[in-house]
Amino acid sequence: MPPKPETLLQDKAGKQVLLLGNEAIARGVIEAGIGIVTTYPGTPASEIGDTVSKLASKAGIYMEYSVNEKVAVEVAAGAAVCGARALTAMKHVGLNVAADAVMTLAYIGVRGGYVIVTADDPECYSSQNEQDNRLYALLSNLPCLEPSNPQECKDMVRYAVQISEKLELPVLLRTVTRVSHTRGPVIYGSIDKPRLKGMLKRDVQRFVAVPRHARPMHDRLLEKVERAKEISESSPYNRVVRKADNGKIGIISSSAAYNYAVEATELLGLNVSLLKLGMSHPLPEGIITQFLEEHEKIIVVEELEPYLEVQVKALAKDCVPKVEIYGKMRGQYFLRSSEFSTRIVVEGLAKITGLKLPIDFISIEQKYEEVSQTLIRRSPVLCAGCPHRASFYVLKRATNGKALFPTDIGCYALGIAPPLSVGDLLICMGASIGTAGGVSKATEVDTIAIVGDSTFFHAGIPALVNAVYNNHKFTLVVVDNLTTAMTGNQPHPGTGKTGMGTHGKRVVIEEVARGCGVRFVKVINPFEVEEAIRAVKEALRTSGVSVVVFRAPCALLLVREKRRLGERLESCWITEACNNCMACIKLLGCPALVIKNGNVTINEALCTGCGLCAHVCPYKAIRLPE
Amino acid sequence: MKSFNLLLAGVGGQGILLAAEILGTAAVYEGLNVRVSEVHGAAQRGGAVVSNIRIGKNVLAPTMVEGTADVILGLEPLETLRNVKFASEKTLVLMNSEVITPTGIFLKIREVNLPSLETIIRNIRFFTDRIIVVDALELARKAGNVLTQNIVLIGALAATEELPIKTGTLEGAIKELVPTNYIEVNLRAFNLGYDYVKSMR
Repeated sequence: MPPKPETLLQDKAGKQVLLLGNEAIARGVIEAGIGIVTTYPGTPASEIGDTVSKLASKAGIYMEYSVNEKVAVEVAAGAAVCGARALTAMKHVGLNVAADAVMTLAYIGVRGGYVIVTADDPECYSSQNEQDNRLYALLSNLPCLEPSNPQECKDMVRYAVQISEKLELPVLLRTVTRVSHTRGPVIYGSIDKPRLKGMLKRDVQRFVAVPRHARPMHDRLLEKVERAKEISESSPYNRVVRKADNGKIGIISSSAAYNYAVEATELLGLNVSLLKLGMSHPLPEGIITQFLEEHEKIIVVEELEPYLEVQVKALAKDCVPKVEIYGKMRGQYFLRSSEFSTRIVVEGLAKITGLKLPIDFISIEQKYEEVSQTLIRRSPVLCAGCPHRASFYVLKRATNGKALFPTDIGCYALGIAPPLSVGDLLICMGASIGTAGGVSKATEVDTIAIVGDSTFFHAGIPALVNAVYNNHKFTLVVVDNLTTAMTGNQPHPGTGKTGMGTHGKRVVIEEVARGCGVRFVKVINPFEVEEAIRAVKEALRTSGVSVVVFRAPCALLLVREKRRLGERLESCWITEACNNCMACIKLLGCPALVIKNGNVTINEALCTGCGLCAHVCPYKAIRLPE
Repeated sequence: MKSFNLLLAGVGGQGILLAAEILGTAAVYEGLNVRVSEVHGAAQRGGAVVSNIRIGKNVLAPTMVEGTADVILGLEPLETLRNVKFASEKTLVLMNSEVITPTGIFLKIREVNLPSLETIIRNIRFFTDRIIVVDALELARKAGNVLTQNIVLIGALAATEELPIKTGTLEGAIKELVPTNYIEVNLRAFNLGYDYVKSMR
């Protein structure tokens, strides 16, 4: 449920409200006088851009949903070198897409403050991997801030802008799911006027990264890192938050892991010092060295990669070689995969210190093991009325299930689950089209790439051009539900709506495909099942690359629109001709089709009346709404 | 004040995020420190959804440790059981009686049977005897909208007096957070849940 976004514009310093970490970042944008925000949506970062989008015109901010993260960074960077204050938000894997721009932008620098938010996803709650983007800070030499809670999310935006303007360098703001998607109290600060306008004064040695300029740029960047170290040493976010009276054990932590570490020490009754690192690149070597000197044992508590641990150990080797350092290298006390919890930290600390566990986890697990025998997995499914269900049904019928289906990032990845079971290979945004080229070269099987509308624009087009140019042989099916559904129904070029809530120019997928040189392009509503099957069969018979666009709006959009109007969608209904053969359920797996007392029934609260079940029913026992 | 741990469990689409936001907002209205954990994205598509609400001066982590829930508010019985390891013998389990069958069951991918409500309750008793079952679907229907089961259960929770939040504050947060034309039906749902638990005692 969306919060009332306009409250985020209130100029009421000192007011306390409950905000999601991502909403707090959006409030930080307002307070820090950021004039331009760009994003490509992705969990767990989406609410940053979405919240700003709702406020932008009122706040005097320019906001756009860019076509992908690289372009988002480029648009913002262009404004920031002119002196505008800018922020770009993306999920962790988005930074891979943007990395080409980010790495050299670090050389060039900015003039207005520029913040790049990367929201990492330990545990892969909604992602294809759980990479640790703090390593991008090391790779790019950009400063990196890591908030632990919503208040810090907000405050660190302004702080990042200050550092960015002081160093004339973009600053990374790295969250994780448990920071971006945690609500907590946030106290508002004052609001600066958004700074959007500026000018690019020609200075090719600074702004044009040709080799002759790039070499001195690299040296200037390394000088900036030295200055960033001084900032890190005196940063209010790098501080010893608790000091043990005996000087034996010190914990170093950051981000979400810090929260678990504090609570774990309280549960264990462990007398330790705590060093919290809110600015984790470059590290405050002086503060850390002193902390190492003051303790016999150091425990590094961090999620994912041993990012802090490696650097702390390197520092200790030079400065405090006798101190013992415990962490996750060589898998000793903590894991490098999955997210942490207070329990995981409690268990790690107990192992290191020899303390008794405060809670009998083993007996809890034993009891749980017994009672959970009756549990049944509840995996996410395509919604009732989802047009992707129709698309996958069509694809299975058209190919007798004998084709290979490279698929892509979006709701339609849920198509891999039975009974639809469509999808054989998934790597990253847009990869369905590139990999289809390789799969079709390496096999003799029909290859059908499946890509969503937003994903097609994001990274699909170069791969499509490649396939046409290199004469690949496969069919591309664009499942176009006219929205970026999985991340919260953001607009994209194919919708023609913009982040400012205005109408831009609609970019039409079939025109793009034809423009890329595809000869066979068809647009069909997948709920027109038989016609859609014929189109796919025809596409597969075509030589070279063929494109079929399955276009029907996301069911969530339909349902929400009706709900907004105070109406409801009429549902399908089952007649007496039903003999409970269960074909509808077995073929479609729609959540609105349920068995009650042995009979197939329709859950009217979920059914959108799409009629796909009526189409597949062998006894014509399901009727569409009047 | 000792910290208060509340776990919400249910199915994507039942309104867990709204329930969590209402409870978190009410806590802030009371001047309390709070953390609310949420799950967005893929898990919301009819999957299992959990939210933690932790209230107290020293609370930092958004999620709780196994065996430390004060209350588990189950919007759906199977999902309540799935999270029962967060309960101890002191935990109150306040649960909807309406089981939502996972779609997979109908496909008979594996031969599994849906446990009955009685079986689920029996299994929860391995952890705690403090169980209140509410027919939130029926009460939500009575209120005028089956989608208000989440609010029925918040009303029921208020009546147990376990929460460190006043009932009036919860009603204020509901008014603040639900769309204007749905305030009335939600307050009706809240009161029906509240009265139901009060009448049990």
